Amino acid sequence: MICQVCGEREATFHFQEMTNGQVKELHLCEICAQKKGLGQTFFMPSFSLSDLMAGLTELEVPLSEEASVTCSHCGLSYGDIKRKGKIGCGLCYQELEEYLTPLLERIQGKVRHSGKVPKKGKVEDQKERRIYELRKELEILVRKEEYERAAKLRDEIRRLEREK
Amino acid sequence: MILQEMANSASQWSRADGPEAEIVFSCRVRLARNLEGFTFPPWAHDSVLKDVSDKVLNAVKRSHYLKNSRLIKMSELSSTERRFLLERHLISPEFSSGGPHRFLITEKREMISLMVNEEDHLRLQSILSGLQLMDAWRLTDKIDDELEQNLDYAFLPQWGYLTSCPTNTGTGMRASCMLHLPALAVTHKIDELMKNISKLGLVARGLYGEGTKSQGDFFQISNQVTLGSREEEVVDHVESVTRQVVGQEKKARDILLRRDGIQLRDQMGRAYGTLVSAYLLRSEEAISLLSKLRLGVSLNLFPQLNVQVLNELFFMITPAQLQVKEGKEMAPLDRDELRAKVIRQRLGKLK
Repeated sequence: MICQVCGEREATFHFQEMTNGQVKELHLCEICAQKKGLGQTFFMPSFSLSDLMAGLTELEVPLSEEASVTCSHCGLSYGDIKRKGKIGCGLCYQELEEYLTPLLERIQGKVRHSGKVPKKGKVEDQKERRIYELRKELEILVRKEEYERAAKLRDEIRRLEREK
Repeated sequence: MILQEMANSASQWSRADGPEAEIVFSCRVRLARNLEGFTFPPWAHDSVLKDVSDKVLNAVKRSHYLKNSRLIKMSELSSTERRFLLERHLISPEFSSGGPHRFLITEKREMISLMVNEEDHLRLQSILSGLQLMDAWRLTDKIDDELEQNLDYAFLPQWGYLTSCPTNTGTGMRASCMLHLPALAVTHKIDELMKNISKLGLVARGLYGEGTKSQGDFFQISNQVTLGSREEEVVDHVESVTRQVVGQEKKARDILLRRDGIQLRDQMGRAYGTLVSAYLLRSEEAISLLSKLRLGVSLNLFPQLNVQVLNELFFMITPAQLQVKEGKEMAPLDRDELRAKVIRQRLGKLK
């Protein structure tokens, strides 16, 4: 088998990754594997094969529309982001939302964040933090089988969520 | 030199003192965080990277968990030294390419580490021995809280923590377990198992070397998505699937021992024989033999050995570890000789 990167040398490094029952394989020669930071490690460092492959594909030509709107902080357009597969800055998430939302939904599903919230976030984040902390407490109460207190807490969480 | 000092001892998490450590080599939780108002590293100018690293290093100084840490500047390292850190799971392949204003902070036991200016401004991780992923999460969570006291993270209620790559947006968390599954591999159950795991919203990975299908029979299970679920739910899911795989590996070991006991003993005895007698060992050969022996040790066939010794050897014999320990670049043949010597001495002492 020939190396997928250089197309010249024999591939001796075979990497396999499975997601949703789909198998992705990458076959590299020792030199290209070394260049990718792989090679002679006895177990794989943590990275995703898709990340690795992103750097292997030909540059995509952005549509003109995707190149015209830019982020006011970092100056990048969605075309730039698409080419590198990396978002420019935090503000891109708001200013290029129209383009980033479909991308994020494709990767992550149509969902909203429900995990950790920074403690000293902005005013609007503080309510989220409160909900996050209450959910944690709720879990502990359920585990302790203190259902009466848990029910009260659940109502409080629902009330806060409605207020959002 | 810091790295040489590190090379003299193994990482704490390779000590095999965690639950199910005979099968679960290690578990790891990492968080991706970025500072508000700063361009993410893949697009940032050097001056931005510098400002970010100043801020983060300042927060690290005030951290209780990271106060006795080593601070390593990536631009000052040779490529072998960067490889050394990669092999110890302290940095990512991306980080090992070097670059300005990139730092690694690692506490002495190497259980907690932080990469500054990788793909995200902060990449914080905890690695523990065996299957204790929830503990790894709780530890990482606490350090994250502590660092946040002196940093403003980029965050939006809808998208959670904002990251450079859309595959990390939300919790920014990757939770993974590294498993040693020699019995499932030898009974050809691995492919099906990996496929099933991948259908549960998780990612299963294996590394295959030349000739023999797997290089050391190591596999990794981790979460795929980072948006929509709470961290504890994700950690719980990865942990419970891992527990099931551990159960299957144990079953496969029992069957193997009952059905092919003598062949198994023969193979492991031969592996041991080669390891204690060889004068030249290539990296892949050594890994494959150590993997066989590790199974034998787990099955109590070598009472003089323990899993910890084997775990440490896996680390000590990689090209970069050998070269950093010796303090010089070495030709492949010299490495093969040194590798065989290290293994002979370590195992020979325990004869």
